[in-house]
Amino acid sequence: MKKLLTIPILLLLAGCDINVLDAKSETGQDQAFLIWFSFGLMMIVLVVVFVLFARFVWKYRETDQNKHTLPKDVKGNKKLEITWTTLAILLLVVLAVPTVAITYDQSPVLSSSEEAEQAVHVNVTGQQFFWTFEYENGKETTNKLVIPANKTIVFHLISKDVIHSFWIPQLGGKTDVLPGKELLYKLKNPKEGTYEGKCAEFCGVQHTKMQFTTRVVSNEEYENWLKE
Amino acid sequence: MTIPFFKDTMFVPSDVVAAWVLTIILGIFMAIYVWRKQKIPLLWSYLRTTNHRKIGTMYVLFGVLFFLRAGIDALLIRLQLASPHAEFWVFQQDKYNELFTTHGTMMIFFVAMPLLIGLMNIAVPLQIGARDLAFPFLNAVSFWLFLAGAILFNMSFFLNSAPNAGWTGYAPLSTDTFTPSVGNDYYVFSLQVSGLGTIFTAINMIVTIIRHRAPGMKLTRMPLFPWSALITSFLILIAFPVLSMGLYLLMFDRLFGTGFFSGEVGSPVFWQHLFWIFGHPEVYILALPAFGIFSDIISAFSKKRIFGYPAMVLSLALIGFLGFMVWAHHMFTVGLGPMANTFFAITTMLIAVPTGIKIFNWLFTMRGGVIRITTPMLFSLGFIPTFVMGGVTGVMLSVAAADFQYHDTHFVVAHFHYTIIGSTILGIFAGLYYWYPKITGKVLDETLGKWHFWLFLIGFHMTFLPMHITGLQGMPRRVYTYGYGDSLFALNLTSTIGAFIMGSSMLIVGWNVYKTHKYGEKVGNDPWDGRTLEWTVKSPSEEHTFEPMPVVKEMDPFWYAKVEGRKLETTTDVRPGPIPVESIKPILIAVSMSLMSIGMIYSWYWLAILGGLGTLGLFVIRSVTDERKKDYAEGGGVQ
Repeated sequence: MKKLLTIPILLLLAGCDINVLDAKSETGQDQAFLIWFSFGLMMIVLVVVFVLFARFVWKYRETDQNKHTLPKDVKGNKKLEITWTTLAILLLVVLAVPTVAITYDQSPVLSSSEEAEQAVHVNVTGQQFFWTFEYENGKETTNKLVIPANKTIVFHLISKDVIHSFWIPQLGGKTDVLPGKELLYKLKNPKEGTYEGKCAEFCGVQHTKMQFTTRVVSNEEYENWLKE
Repeated sequence: MTIPFFKDTMFVPSDVVAAWVLTIILGIFMAIYVWRKQKIPLLWSYLRTTNHRKIGTMYVLFGVLFFLRAGIDALLIRLQLASPHAEFWVFQQDKYNELFTTHGTMMIFFVAMPLLIGLMNIAVPLQIGARDLAFPFLNAVSFWLFLAGAILFNMSFFLNSAPNAGWTGYAPLSTDTFTPSVGNDYYVFSLQVSGLGTIFTAINMIVTIIRHRAPGMKLTRMPLFPWSALITSFLILIAFPVLSMGLYLLMFDRLFGTGFFSGEVGSPVFWQHLFWIFGHPEVYILALPAFGIFSDIISAFSKKRIFGYPAMVLSLALIGFLGFMVWAHHMFTVGLGPMANTFFAITTMLIAVPTGIKIFNWLFTMRGGVIRITTPMLFSLGFIPTFVMGGVTGVMLSVAAADFQYHDTHFVVAHFHYTIIGSTILGIFAGLYYWYPKITGKVLDETLGKWHFWLFLIGFHMTFLPMHITGLQGMPRRVYTYGYGDSLFALNLTSTIGAFIMGSSMLIVGWNVYKTHKYGEKVGNDPWDGRTLEWTVKSPSEEHTFEPMPVVKEMDPFWYAKVEGRKLETTTDVRPGPIPVESIKPILIAVSMSLMSIGMIYSWYWLAILGGLGTLGLFVIRSVTDERKKDYAEGGGVQ
């Protein structure tokens, strides 16, 4: 039992190095917040169950003294049962509020908004087994994505064959890349740096190797790079 | 490996050659054993049996066999992933894709399902005081259809054309445009055939539980395992036809060039909807029977009746109901929009409420009891923390925006193994140890059972706990390798070692079965000091049980009779029950359906038509014959 309890602590300590939790964009940070928040709430549940479990199993285990005793039958306890049902619902309400808020904020949106007009747009095409990125001035790159820091970037995702999934773990979550239907993904304020991106939806023989690098550069550098 | 084949050369990968060689050697040994020990009459009787316990036993035997195969798949996966840029044997690229596809498909459809259905077959009639399932003939048909599907699925591997689109078979990858080889046709037909058997079983279970309970056993006095079997059967009845439809459409796309899942009017997302409308309830189809098993075992070994029985039944039903409203949480990333995503996020979270109620009720069943730590109880105790850990990551996954990060990573792999192994597999082990005397008349060795438990549980946590972190490090599922960075190596190596510890625990099971049958002694009716009706019949249970029939006046009738030192009241005045028959037709139906499937897979339409006519013919013959005729003449066994 003790061994199990140390695991979450180890996880907490290791947290700072974990890619997804150490997010380098506003989008990713919001998601990391949700992950930590839900993890914290769930730890409460876990600890309560573990403590009760350990206590009951230890206290009521069969020993030489109680071997022949016949425990009293308990049919149930309305008050207790209502208590833990209500508590569970309350806990989920607490979790549901930020979930709904952030999900609305981040879900792939299909209509363009005012914000989208000021954003940087990149067309992303997934294909077995590489990525093509097309920028606003028509420039194209393969497996190398370059985006400006501290801006909103909108990716227009489409696939030429099967379903892929566009994912840069350190910058934010993934969105599927579907054939015949364009999906949008919005990334807010990435920080400068180089990050790995990959296909997250199984897409065939070379799925494993369908990776790309993302370079987040300063705005001037981005403008210069576009003109190269 | 290339093999000269007349004038051509044929390329066969070395793993397939190894499997052939191993199978032939084992086959020869088996044949010699059967011949030497004169087991042919026994085999012949099992081929024709319709008795629920014998069919259940066969389900268990083959479930365990396929468990070994799919488990070896898992070990091969873990070997390939043990270190960065590993090149283990042939398992890179397409071979690896086949590996995880067959691992997943087999574990769900040919391991977890048959083992649970096997346990239901064995225990449900005995627990409710039924003499057999309501339709014994149909039950045999179900079993043979399951086996036909499973053999079909395994055949693909031996012919080097295993399915390779994942157990979820996502279109358009699974359509013939992208996977033209016959592999995924095997997937379609083997699931279709075995799924049909599962649907029949569900109907059979529902009728049995509704119609054939012992006198006085109201639904409110029924043990929780039959309750879970009943609710599971309803889930199967709704979910499996959806899978059948999906597979049917996929078959048309693959074989006849339709465009349900691709092209101008079709959409790959349609497949995902169909698959998950089946697939999510399937998770509960696997979990609910396990919940039932745990409820019975925890109550029996705490010497207490189950805490909050009505709440337990209600939450089984609620989980089943909610299971149908959450399928799109597998699809948070396909762009259904924030409205759908939040709806499915919240319904998914809601499932945690009835599940939580069950967990607390189990805990409070133990409270104040006298807990005997036997092997079945150990597995039930191991289940509680393990399953709760899987459950809380489930709630974390339901947070839609956070799921954009988890989706399709090893975090998800960790989560569903925690829930499925934590509930289903531990439940199956618990159930098998618990009801083993009812199957064979002997109790499995307790010491070895405990070794099995501890090795399995420790190996399990070692394998899957690190995967939460590798997932958050950015390791997608279904990749056959990873880079040196990201500190993925140590975690993956730990997983691999854990997987082998888990695998080695199965060797102990093998040793235990051998030892028990060699040295174990026959036990009486009630080796565990049980509470429910199955412990009133002989171990192993006979073909004519419950003569005379017990009259049930309360929950756990056998227990209270023992406590008060009285005998269970019995009666001979009961409604007619099913009578055992022997028939070779069930297996023939399965064989002709296999032929039809093989014909379809390879587009040998003459064979497909022949197989189809055979199936139809057998149904017609079955409709006009009555196997029970000789029982009428003797006048025995009919009541």
